Amino acid sequence: MEFKDYYQILGVKPDTDTKDIKAAYRKLARKYHPDLNAGDEAEEKFKEVAEAWEVLRDDTRRAEYDELRRYGGRRPSDFEPPPGWRSAAEGETHHFSGDFSEFFNSMFGGGFEQGSRARPMRGQDVEIEMPVFLEETLEDCSKPVSYRLPVYERGGVRHMDKSLKVTIPAGTMDGERIRVKGQGAPGMGDGTPGDLYLHIRLVPHPLFDVEGRNLTITVPVTPWEAALGARVVVPTLSGRINLTIAPGSQSGQRLRIRGKGLVGKLGTGDLYAILKVVMPKNASAEVQALWRELAEKADFDPRAEWEDAS
Amino acid sequence: MKGAWVRVSAMEFCECEGVHHNVVVELVELNIATPVEGEQVQDWVFDDAGARWLRKALRLQRELELDWIAIGMLIDLMREREQLRRENAGLQRALARFLVD
Repeated sequence: MEFKDYYQILGVKPDTDTKDIKAAYRKLARKYHPDLNAGDEAEEKFKEVAEAWEVLRDDTRRAEYDELRRYGGRRPSDFEPPPGWRSAAEGETHHFSGDFSEFFNSMFGGGFEQGSRARPMRGQDVEIEMPVFLEETLEDCSKPVSYRLPVYERGGVRHMDKSLKVTIPAGTMDGERIRVKGQGAPGMGDGTPGDLYLHIRLVPHPLFDVEGRNLTITVPVTPWEAALGARVVVPTLSGRINLTIAPGSQSGQRLRIRGKGLVGKLGTGDLYAILKVVMPKNASAEVQALWRELAEKADFDPRAEWEDAS
Repeated sequence: MKGAWVRVSAMEFCECEGVHHNVVVELVELNIATPVEGEQVQDWVFDDAGARWLRKALRLQRELELDWIAIGMLIDLMREREQLRRENAGLQRALARFLVD
């Protein structure tokens, strides 16, 4: 296994006192804490830093680590613990709540107990991303799920492929997690299996945007539909509807269509149609003439307010 | 196989995180999470987002050794940042649909 140089990770010397190690840890923890920094790189860095502090903060563990460092720190990529190694601090509460490295677990965590002495241990929870289309959130929907589970046995770990169909409850929102009990990794000894968590990711829709439980759709309209009013067919998640555009409508105007949003725990949201007046790309000579006639006859200055402001 | 929204009782949370229920009461008083069910702490149930904020608060307290007031402020700011990012992404999407290349 790889030897971890905790002093190097924290950027301190092996004879640095605990107070200064703490200061170095706090500086790096602030820099890389996953709650304050996005990205896997910061998280990995934070795990290393937190693990180093977990060992060096405690005098007993630090003394043991220094011994290990003297024993095998010169072959960092191929480290083997001394025969019969057992930490005095084994089983103590850790301040850091994330995963530890193989090195830490082997040196200070006690490793896995095996055989008939094994205590029952609950299996690991497993979390996977689950893309869901907006349409699928309107009712309970059954989705196939395939994932890999770690199975610990005879001191080793193998992986098991698993497939099942999961019913996702209606009204599930982006970022929510769905729990499927007992479908995580098997327990050890007589331990119960872990749970499967599906992290819901709503797939971006080509037409609809999500604002909480409400949806928005941009509805392109012609200048004459905006001017004269019209009835246009608008898609919703559950079929098409006729939308009435009032005469004199503006670009950017929002029209509410009740009850055509997403299903939520507190009721169904609305769909907002946002009008976007679109000019035709090509105009024939005849159409151009009509625009010119309109320009002459219409008494309208959309920039009149600028006169007052400047 | 039926999936269900994640719900975490205050007691489950305490057992899992190894904290006394008074800590959860303190975090709720600091507005870090609001239970979705229950009158007393023994009956409180949090949704996944609530439990996630409670977990974040504990993690910040353990790993950065901050006091609860600082954590309350930090969580408020983190929540606000999350909300603003979401709103900003939504507005950017809406704007992109409106603008012409």
